Amino acid sequence: MSPITLILIALGLGLLGWLAGRAKAWSFQSSDPAQRPTSRPIYHAWYVALWVVIPVLLFVIAWGALAPQLVLQSVLAAPAAESLPAFGFERDAFIGEARAVALGQAPGVFNAEAEPLIAPFREAYARYNSIGIIVTVLIALAGGALAFMRLRPQFGARTRVERTVMMILLLASLVAILTTLGIFASLVFETVRFFGMVSPIDFLLGTKWGPDTMASPDAVDPSRYGALPLFWGTIFIGAIIAMIVAIPLGLMSAIYLTQYADPRVRTWIKPLLELLAGVPTVVYGYFAALTLAPMIRDAAVAVGISGASTESALAAGIVMGVMIIPFVSSMADDSMAAVPSAMRDGSLAMGATKSETIRRVLFPAALPGIVAGIMLAVSRAIGETMIVVMAASPAANLTLNPLEPMSTVTVQIVKLLTGEQSTDHPATLSAFALGFVLFMVTLVLNFIALRVVKRFREAYE
Amino acid sequence: MTVIHPNMADENAKIRARDVCVYYGDKKAIDDVSIDISPNYVTAFIGPSGCGKSTFLRCFNRMNDTIGAAKVTGLIELDGEDIHGSRMDVVQLRARVGMVFQKPNPFPKSIYENIAYGPKIHGLAEKKADLDVVVERSLTRAGLWDEVKDRLEDSGTALSGGQQQRLCIARAIAVDPEVILMDEPASALDPIATAKIEELIDDLSGRYAIVIVTHSMQQAARVSQRTAFFHLGKMVEYGPTSEIFTNPIEERTKDYITGRYG
Repeated sequence: MSPITLILIALGLGLLGWLAGRAKAWSFQSSDPAQRPTSRPIYHAWYVALWVVIPVLLFVIAWGALAPQLVLQSVLAAPAAESLPAFGFERDAFIGEARAVALGQAPGVFNAEAEPLIAPFREAYARYNSIGIIVTVLIALAGGALAFMRLRPQFGARTRVERTVMMILLLASLVAILTTLGIFASLVFETVRFFGMVSPIDFLLGTKWGPDTMASPDAVDPSRYGALPLFWGTIFIGAIIAMIVAIPLGLMSAIYLTQYADPRVRTWIKPLLELLAGVPTVVYGYFAALTLAPMIRDAAVAVGISGASTESALAAGIVMGVMIIPFVSSMADDSMAAVPSAMRDGSLAMGATKSETIRRVLFPAALPGIVAGIMLAVSRAIGETMIVVMAASPAANLTLNPLEPMSTVTVQIVKLLTGEQSTDHPATLSAFALGFVLFMVTLVLNFIALRVVKRFREAYE
Repeated sequence: MTVIHPNMADENAKIRARDVCVYYGDKKAIDDVSIDISPNYVTAFIGPSGCGKSTFLRCFNRMNDTIGAAKVTGLIELDGEDIHGSRMDVVQLRARVGMVFQKPNPFPKSIYENIAYGPKIHGLAEKKADLDVVVERSLTRAGLWDEVKDRLEDSGTALSGGQQQRLCIARAIAVDPEVILMDEPASALDPIATAKIEELIDDLSGRYAIVIVTHSMQQAARVSQRTAFFHLGKMVEYGPTSEIFTNPIEERTKDYITGRYG
């Protein structure tokens, strides 16, 4: 008996409660204005329905966690369970097989010892399923009846429904926050385990990166876990090269589109520009690896730089910059368009030229949105993986030369967590530490950006 | 058909408009208006909403250029110079013909920066000391100096509505214009702030040619010496303010003045 069935039962009963509540509320209609109900019948209906469905949902959640435990306990109490091995892997395997057969998920058992447990499992499931259904129906009826009895002409069903709606909305927003916290907690947990093996100082300041996934987990060589080249590569490609490309191009196209372009031109160019954001990053990766990187290498060789590689940070950074142009430009575009035209007219009427007006009035007023767009773009660039995997390199180099191969944090995480791996190995755990640092860096960047914006913004309200 | 009272033609007119029409797309917003604006008077444009008085005002500093669909025909001269001519720089024109808008629109900068904006972009004051002088003089003329002299670094948007509007007037004065156009400058203000603005207009008249658009006839009567009445895109009657209000020639003017419509 899956929770879905219980929920369907609850919804069915909820519908009945809805109809009953509405029917009762219709009888409250009165021609006397003083006796008029405070809530329309629909609110009485929803009040009853919510009292049916919400308690049942809470029960289903609790029951979903509790029922398997109850089933298991009653099976273990059966005489057939006495022959099971006391602890360990085999015992779990037998129980698992018997359960799978009892639920119809497997055709038969592999180990003969599991055979006698099937019948007790079937029995226990049957019993607890009926209990689940009965309790569901009882709760639904009790909740519905309670709510139904409370309906009166002057009953404030409307405000109560309103409050419930508010609670549901609050829950929805909590989901996002709790997910973030959960991600953060899991990162912290694994990172702490990693830092138990490799000291944070070796990790953050070491200059040599090359975790050996084959080495014995007991003899960790901390000198192989120096992540500095990765942090540098990430910042150099994502925050420096990509931004040098994206910020000027993005801002200038936003200025052109909002201030200079003919409306007909704008309706064409803006969607085309935003199309850039929809291109899959793997396609950018092709472009960077197969077209741009060789071009850069050839150009470098032509001007006499011999050591240029086909896997250069420059190629990855430039293509990444192009990819995030739409992030910069569309946020800048929106925030400049949101500056009241009275500002613009005021400046023009003072005899300022168009570009003076943009530079001195529109731009400062739109600054918060522009900075927000740039921050979003930086976060995207730092977290971007595919382009770097394809165009940069898996080899971590600590260098200032953009023509050399470089690697980034995300590329290494992909490398460490794909293929064969052991969850206890420091090489695997180091991926979580990298992720944790990345998370913190983006958090700090956002925080700084918010402060900067608050301090320098020119509010026009 | 426009009625123009005797002696309204002015040899020394600051602004001379001849046969001016304004189109918004296919719609004719201003129909064949000719007027002389004298330098020493306050000229008021009155008329019901949508009569085109603001549109006509915005011709004088070519603010209609910023509206893509608007087209202006006819001749407008500032000191005998065609403002649409090839030798006229629109940036210079707007420095000579300042404008104050209906809703106060100070820049989201400090009070000081609001005033310094024009002098800076036009290169009127290079040194900080010169700029300080301009700021103080402009704020004093706008009657705002005593209220804000201790808080020049505060944001201009933090002032009250009436103060904001006087700040905008001070901002316009700072570049030493010859004409100041005011587009219903007091319509968003309370009566006390309105009275201050009217007083200020009185103080400024004589030094600058002032053209004010207003939908308040009392205001026109109080602050102006010349009044033009607009209706449906046409200038119906133009004459001395006292004549327009006490002894209008046109029937439509009389109806509007006495409150029969509008």
